[in-house]
Amino acid sequence: MPQRNLTLLNLLTLGIMLIATGLVFFYAPTEREMGEVQRVFYFHVAAGWIGGLAFFVTLVTGILYLRTNNSRWDMIGYLSVEIGLVFSLINIISGSIWARPIWNTWWTWDPRLTTVTILVLVYVAYIMLRQSLEDPERRARFAAVYGIIGFISVPLTFFSIRIWRTIHPVVIGSGDPEAQGQMNMTPAMRFTFIFALIAFTVLYACLLANRLRLEQMAQRVEQLKLKILSA
Amino acid sequence: MPDTFDYLLLGYAFIFGIPLLYIGSWWVRQRNLEKDIEILNSLNDEKKK
Repeated sequence: MPQRNLTLLNLLTLGIMLIATGLVFFYAPTEREMGEVQRVFYFHVAAGWIGGLAFFVTLVTGILYLRTNNSRWDMIGYLSVEIGLVFSLINIISGSIWARPIWNTWWTWDPRLTTVTILVLVYVAYIMLRQSLEDPERRARFAAVYGIIGFISVPLTFFSIRIWRTIHPVVIGSGDPEAQGQMNMTPAMRFTFIFALIAFTVLYACLLANRLRLEQMAQRVEQLKLKILSA
Repeated sequence: MPDTFDYLLLGYAFIFGIPLLYIGSWWVRQRNLEKDIEILNSLNDEKKK
C-alpha cells in the first residue's frame, strides 16, 4: 500500500475510534442493573469480533497459499494471527473485568470462557509451530494447513453459548428462544455496538496494513544483509 | 444502580493499553530497522567503491 494511502487509513482509523469511544462514554445510556461497567461490553465484543475476523483471514490466506504458493499469503496469514491474538487477549481480559462485579468472580470455566481459552491456545500453538520450522516453504505449508484446521475453534467459540448451558449473555440474535442468557439493548446501545464493530473492523485493516509494511521492511533488511555477504 | 465505575476504568485501561503497547513495540522495531537499513546501505556503498 502506498505511504499516502496508509497515512489516510491511519487518520481514518484514529477518527473512527475517537467517535466510537465518544459514543461508548457519552452517547450510550448507562445500563440499569450492571451500572457503568456495562460500557466495557461494546469494545469487549468488538475485540472478540476482530479475533474471529483475523483468524478467518488466516483461513482464507491459508487456502490461497496452498493454491498459489505465493509467500505473500503466508505472511498475511501469520500477521493476522498475531493481531487476532492481541484482540482475543483484550476480549478475555475485558470480559474478566466485566464479570467480576456481575458474576462475582474474575473467571469461571463456563463453556464460552473455556472455548475462547482453547481458541487462544490453538493460535499460540500456530505461532510456536511456525517458529519451530526453519525451511520457509515447509513452514508456510504447515502453517496454512494448521490455520485452516485451527479455524474450527472460532465457530465452536461463537456457538458455544447456544450449544451448552451458560451464564454468558447471547448478544447476536438474543431474541432466539434457545438462547440461555439475555442482552436487551436500547436503540442507542445497539447503534453504539454496531458502530464499535465497524470501528474495530477498520482498526483491524489499519493494523494489518501497518504490520505488513513493517514486515516488508524487515525482509528488506534481510535481503540487504544477504546482498552484502554475497558480494 | 451498582457503583461499577472502577471496573469500567480498569477494563478500558486494558482495552486501550494492550494495543498501545503492541503499536509501541512496532514503533521501536521500525526505528531499529530504519537504522539497520541505513547502516547496510552505507556498507553496500563502501563495498562498491
